[in-house]
Amino acid sequence: MRTSIDWEALSLKAVFGLISLITIFILVAPTVVILILSFTGEEALRFPPASYSLRWYAALLDANELQDAFVISIKVAAITTLVSVVLAVAAALAIARSRSAFARALETLFMSPLILPALAFGFASLMMFSLMGLRPSIMTLSIGHIIVCAPFVLRTTLASLAQLDPALTDCSTSLGASDAYTFRKITLPLISRGVISGGFIAFMASFDNVPVSLFLQDTRTQVLPIYLWDIIQNQLDSRAASACGVIVIMTIILMMMMERVAGFSRFIK
Amino acid sequence: MSHSLTRRGLLAGTAAAAGMALVPQRGLAADELVAATFGGTWANVQKQVLAPYFTKRAGATVVQSPMLATEQIAKLTAAKGGQVPFDVAMLDEGPALEAIDAGLIAPYDPAKSPNFANLYPKFKGEFGPAITMQAIGIAYNPKTVKTPPASWADLWKPEYKGRVGITSLASTLGLAFLLDINRLEGGNESSMDKAFAKLRTLLPNLAAVSANFGAHGALFQQGEIDIGVQNFNFAEELKAKGVPIEFVRVSTGTPAWKTTMHVVKGALKPDLAHTYIDSQLAPEVQSAMQKSPWNVIPTSSKVPYEGLVASKIAKEPADLDKMVFFDWKKVNQGRAAWTQQFNREIRL
Amino acid sequence: MANATAMRAHEWQLALPLALFFALFFAAPLLLLIWISFQADRQMTGGLGLAQYVAFLGDRLNLQVLIDTLLLGVKATCLCLVAGYPLAWLCTRVSARFQALLIFLIVLPIVTSVVVRTFAWIVILGRRGMVNEAIVALGLSSQPLHLLFSETGVIIVLTQVQMPLMVLPLITALQRIDPNLANASSALGAGAWRTFFKITLPLSMPGVIAGIILTYTACVSAFVTQSLIGGSRLLYMPMLIFQQAMDLQNWPFAAAASMLFTVSVLLIVGLLVALSRSRAAQLYG
Repeated sequence: MRTSIDWEALSLKAVFGLISLITIFILVAPTVVILILSFTGEEALRFPPASYSLRWYAALLDANELQDAFVISIKVAAITTLVSVVLAVAAALAIARSRSAFARALETLFMSPLILPALAFGFASLMMFSLMGLRPSIMTLSIGHIIVCAPFVLRTTLASLAQLDPALTDCSTSLGASDAYTFRKITLPLISRGVISGGFIAFMASFDNVPVSLFLQDTRTQVLPIYLWDIIQNQLDSRAASACGVIVIMTIILMMMMERVAGFSRFIK
Repeated sequence: MSHSLTRRGLLAGTAAAAGMALVPQRGLAADELVAATFGGTWANVQKQVLAPYFTKRAGATVVQSPMLATEQIAKLTAAKGGQVPFDVAMLDEGPALEAIDAGLIAPYDPAKSPNFANLYPKFKGEFGPAITMQAIGIAYNPKTVKTPPASWADLWKPEYKGRVGITSLASTLGLAFLLDINRLEGGNESSMDKAFAKLRTLLPNLAAVSANFGAHGALFQQGEIDIGVQNFNFAEELKAKGVPIEFVRVSTGTPAWKTTMHVVKGALKPDLAHTYIDSQLAPEVQSAMQKSPWNVIPTSSKVPYEGLVASKIAKEPADLDKMVFFDWKKVNQGRAAWTQQFNREIRL
Repeated sequence: MANATAMRAHEWQLALPLALFFALFFAAPLLLLIWISFQADRQMTGGLGLAQYVAFLGDRLNLQVLIDTLLLGVKATCLCLVAGYPLAWLCTRVSARFQALLIFLIVLPIVTSVVVRTFAWIVILGRRGMVNEAIVALGLSSQPLHLLFSETGVIIVLTQVQMPLMVLPLITALQRIDPNLANASSALGAGAWRTFFKITLPLSMPGVIAGIILTYTACVSAFVTQSLIGGSRLLYMPMLIFQQAMDLQNWPFAAAASMLFTVSVLLIVGLLVALSRSRAAQLYG
């Protein structure tokens, strides 16, 4: 019966809409800024750049230490992702279908690296490895990363297992299939998207990790984010901008691939 | 469902191929040395001048890691008993004394270093040669600072409120500045109370305290600070890059100190380390480093002073002796406590 | 039933590898951390005692650093909530295609390296950066604002860097709310704002709690952001722990500081969760 404008609803939409736009702008702007900045032709980093060129990308070809750090980061991330996926998927299968308190406790344990300050964990790991006589190496780095990255795989795998109809696996078992066969042919394909999404997040989390790497790396095994941080802190080289540009482009491409292959945006919530 | 498996296979295949393409093709690893260096202009000059010369001479590559002298000592101490993180250390006078006392440095073998004999006597050392001297003064932006400063006191001028930059005591640059303020206030290396009292009055003018001189250079470059304490060669490199910056020596005497290179005790490749340090002493290298934009003060008797080094710092070796020097042994005793106090004083 | 139990036993073997891995490489280091924090002296030769904790808590500077860090997290998390809630709300109101795009834009920051994101802000917040140029040009201030190397700057950057951690759980929670409830509310005569505060917000509490936990933990531990944007004059717990552990090699003290830090964070998070739960309980009786 009311034909007048609902001012309240409108004001709500206006206020929320405005704040959202500002928020989205603030969320996206830095990434865009750094991309544009990486093409600057100047020595100093001024936005907007006075001139454009590819010189800082060309300088990357020369940057041996940067390339080394990149390779090490990729290696560690690959190992971390592989082991995390294997361990976490197995654990997810065990936990998902149980209602017992023990299962809940295990789940809390496996997720706890996400809420404890990673710095404290990194430091604790360094002390333990040191007292065990192990020097920092790719192995120690990977172990530390697996702890903080496995929870991501666990979370997405549990989410997709939750959507899996148990009737399907029950059917398969009652028809005489072994557990391993059921897993390979029924469960795994159905949860593959969740697993891949988790794997992707674990990979990026390992690649970008700073707090754990800070303690578990040494001069001979530096990872990329910390090397970049060193450059930025120590000289604000414009090469840092182009290195960041490469990372941003790589991340965007990987994310778009993930979206197409695994529709992974559904799993990160 | 086989559909998604194929997609997964495709994805894995693409990722692997991309990964392979990204990995730089390194042939069989040539002999490699890991050396520490200072950040900023030092990393640049050593990468562009020293590394190629060394590679040509020794046929080996070098990985140069930028770190402050204090960080190098921390890392070497942490690694005691195990594998050292780098073979060559580059240290300022204070940290060098500390490192030698702590047994972190190996004696330097002149037999493995032909260029060692060419150094002026005061630059030769049992544990490693001095590769340069560093001198500090005031750097300022000529576009925004109209009257060139003449002494440290100018940093305290009210018109520079929020525009002054200094470095923390972790770098010798910051420490030398504070030591000189201390000296001018009538104190000496046993106590820094006078310096801290004076520092407190500088706080309103401070725009930033950099962790090291590399970050400090960046602040000038980005226009975050207009005036501050700076190393001679740092400032000149920035100027050569087109950054609006000028360097002046202070009228009360230029604080200076030696910078030395050492072979670390327990180095993985001691002979290569000696060759690397010897390369830094070679007349060709030192002469190249003295040129713009690097302006590194040479220590070899075979390299006469030229260019900006000659015009701004010293025309002959005796000029270097007229600079202000500190008793680093005494300084080392108090440094830890002073660093703690400094961090407290500058806290916002 | 016997079948089900047998299945369960078999499944525990699946969880065993990860459990063992966590026991060895997660639980053991943390236990070691606790043990080292009770060491009486630096060389760890003396007995156990509370010496390190006393040393930390007895120093006004350390306490100040701890409090500053905890407060920093609170301020940044509040800003994230206020700025992020409308965005999550928007995501649930737009078409599916837009939603996918929005979520893409929201997720992109968290998979990009934190160093990269913080670096951009150094350029944006500097004295000659974008923000200051705009402010001076618009006449809002005669002098450029001191944003870089200030707590304000750290809060702003933290908000952007950690925002996705707040928004994503909120989206999930908002999507779970039955739209009929909001319709019923307005049919009964409640205005849009009242509906929001009385119906939508309380029902989205689980998402708010999850968002607060993740965001707060991330903000207080954000080592890179705090150091790059804060500079040497602002000291927070992560850098203090790092300096003590690596630069000064004082492991017991660093361990005690880490324990105090971790426990305080867990306490605050627990407090926030309890508060929001009690608020929700009030509304539902």
